Amino acid sequence: MKEVKSPNGEKPREKHYSRLYRKFVLLTLISSLVPLLLVGWGIYIYYSNFSRDRMNIYFQGQVESHRKIIELFLSERTHDLQLIGQTHSLDYLQKESNLRKVFSVINRQGQYFTDLGVIGEQGRHLAYIGPYNLMDKDYSQTFWFKELMKKGIFISDMFLGFRNDPHFIIALLGFEGERPWILRASINTEYLRSLVENVKIGNTGEAYLVNQTGIFQTSPRSSGKIMGSSPLPVSLFKEDSGVRIMGRDGDQSRWPLSRQIVAYAWLKEPHWLLIVKQDYSEALRDVNHANQATLIFLHLSLLGIIIITAVITRTMIKIIQKRDRESDQLNKQLMQAGKLASLGELSAGVAHEINNPLAIILTENQVIRDSLEEVPGLDEAFRRELMESLSQIDTQIQRCTLITHNLLRFSRRTKSIIEMVDLNAFLKEVTQLMDGRARGMGVQFLMDLEKDLQPILSDPSQLQQVFLNLITNAIDAHEGRPSGTIRISTRTDLQKQGVEIVVADTGSGIPAHNLERIFDPFFTTKPVGKGTGLGLSISYSIIKKLEGEISVQSEMAKGTRFTLFLPFRPLTDSRRNGPEALGQTSFQDFRKEAKK
Amino acid sequence: MKTARILLVDDEVAFANNIAKLISKRGFEVKTVYDGESAIRAMDEIDFDVVVLDLKMPGLDGLSTLKLIKTKKPEVEVIILTGHGSMESGIDGIEMGAFDFIMKPVRFDDLHEKIREAFQRKLVQEELEENDRLTDAFMRKMD
Repeated sequence: MKEVKSPNGEKPREKHYSRLYRKFVLLTLISSLVPLLLVGWGIYIYYSNFSRDRMNIYFQGQVESHRKIIELFLSERTHDLQLIGQTHSLDYLQKESNLRKVFSVINRQGQYFTDLGVIGEQGRHLAYIGPYNLMDKDYSQTFWFKELMKKGIFISDMFLGFRNDPHFIIALLGFEGERPWILRASINTEYLRSLVENVKIGNTGEAYLVNQTGIFQTSPRSSGKIMGSSPLPVSLFKEDSGVRIMGRDGDQSRWPLSRQIVAYAWLKEPHWLLIVKQDYSEALRDVNHANQATLIFLHLSLLGIIIITAVITRTMIKIIQKRDRESDQLNKQLMQAGKLASLGELSAGVAHEINNPLAIILTENQVIRDSLEEVPGLDEAFRRELMESLSQIDTQIQRCTLITHNLLRFSRRTKSIIEMVDLNAFLKEVTQLMDGRARGMGVQFLMDLEKDLQPILSDPSQLQQVFLNLITNAIDAHEGRPSGTIRISTRTDLQKQGVEIVVADTGSGIPAHNLERIFDPFFTTKPVGKGTGLGLSISYSIIKKLEGEISVQSEMAKGTRFTLFLPFRPLTDSRRNGPEALGQTSFQDFRKEAKK
Repeated sequence: MKTARILLVDDEVAFANNIAKLISKRGFEVKTVYDGESAIRAMDEIDFDVVVLDLKMPGLDGLSTLKLIKTKKPEVEVIILTGHGSMESGIDGIEMGAFDFIMKPVRFDDLHEKIREAFQRKLVQEELEENDRLTDAFMRKMD
């Protein structure tokens, strides 16, 4: 058994608690936070990937659909020209009025074409319809003229040309017998640009076309001008189409701008690159918001768990501390009980040892008396004096005998046995035990016992504990007072079939707020180490077990009054069979019973 | 009247001798032994009427001695002397056929009285047995 109440023992205990606290908190946090973080981060990563995939698909769709629109537009315009070239002769088209008619027909649905011209094999216009004055221009040395001669049909990139304005042309080669001629139209640049540039995604999204050498074919909204050079190297985009995230951890070295998502697709003819792009942060704004919310929630949960863990653990440790304190007290009580038991054994041994010499002295006394009878002629006065001395010896030995018998009885009372108890005799015996101590405090016992009190069936050893407790408390209540009394009275209560016992002292009294707690275990007002706070609670449980009642009244500075009731016979009569159970507290009666 | 023969068994020599002295003065025949084994041997030699037996003794203890005495001579009355601590043993003794038990320390007068009671009972018992015997003999004769 370890005694931990000493001031030296308090510190290791405190350390132990704080260590326990840290361990609990750590374990709880690990076991709750690790799964939470794993799930949280898992969701975060999964959701991020999921939304990035969704975004990729969206951008892919955007770029694909726009590629289709642009390709369709260009192939329709090419078809328009092809139709003209194949259905009309050069002679017909050379006439300006005819060409004008054709021009108006192909522009009927929309202003797709800016101008339309027929060029002879020398590279000069034979006829021209359009806003520019190009009749005297010689095209035989231009790049498209040469390409066209090779391919038969040609769609150019954007170029400035003679008109000094960005535009591109579709030209095709026709033959009049062996003589080649050229039908050439420039496309309404604005229309094409509207097709591309009107793609608007958020604030930072834009779409544009670049040719194979990285020259803008349309004007991007923010990152350049038509015919300007694109900061994006075209060589980055090798596949037919795709979506890439550029910047930072992507292709940082070749990407000076902010992080962006770039969707691209190559047109077939002309071989232009369509790019749809947006700032990554804007594209993922909603996702980021959602993720931020998730993260905030996650961290709030973490905080909550930490706080709750700390609070719960603190409460737990407090409970453990309380339990420890209680078990310390119980240990103390146990040690006390052990002490009492060994004291009982010791006193029994001592009493027994003393009884033998007492017995011898008694017989010696008798021997002397006998011898005295036989001495003749002894002086009568001397004989009387001697006889008186001898009977005084006898009396004193009887007194010793009473003490040793009391001691033996005390040691016997460790067993719990229900037997007949003469309460008056019993209470006298208990007060005798406490008389010395009471006198030391200037306290006097007043016995007010009902005559011919009916004996009750009860457990004298437990009752002894109860009354010793009550009387000890009553004596202690007189501390700091010169004198006082403890009145013990018994009274038959025929109505309730039992005996009422009152133990009333003239001590300091119990304050009202303590009065309702005095039967609680571990409640004590005595200084540390003096009382365990168990005495009254044990007394209470003993009385309840014996089917009795105990109550208390107290008045400050006047005294305290415990009223007990014990039934004549408990309903659950647990008397042991055997001679002892039949016995009564007085030995003479006991012997009579035993003889039967 | 027949003189009572008393066997005193106690390991406390001074006590036993004093009691023996006092008892013999009151007209009893007394033999004193100091342990159980000697008591059993003495029982074989003399027909005692009453045995005063201490319970706590070295060697053969009081209750075992009592058992042996009662097997050998059930008619002998035994008074047990005991300390308070072994009162239960005293009761056990009565259950085993002892006449009574007395707690130490004992006033000699009380012990004397008890011995006389025991002897009286022994005499009555003997008389009853004698009567029974005579009745039996008478009945047989009648048959």
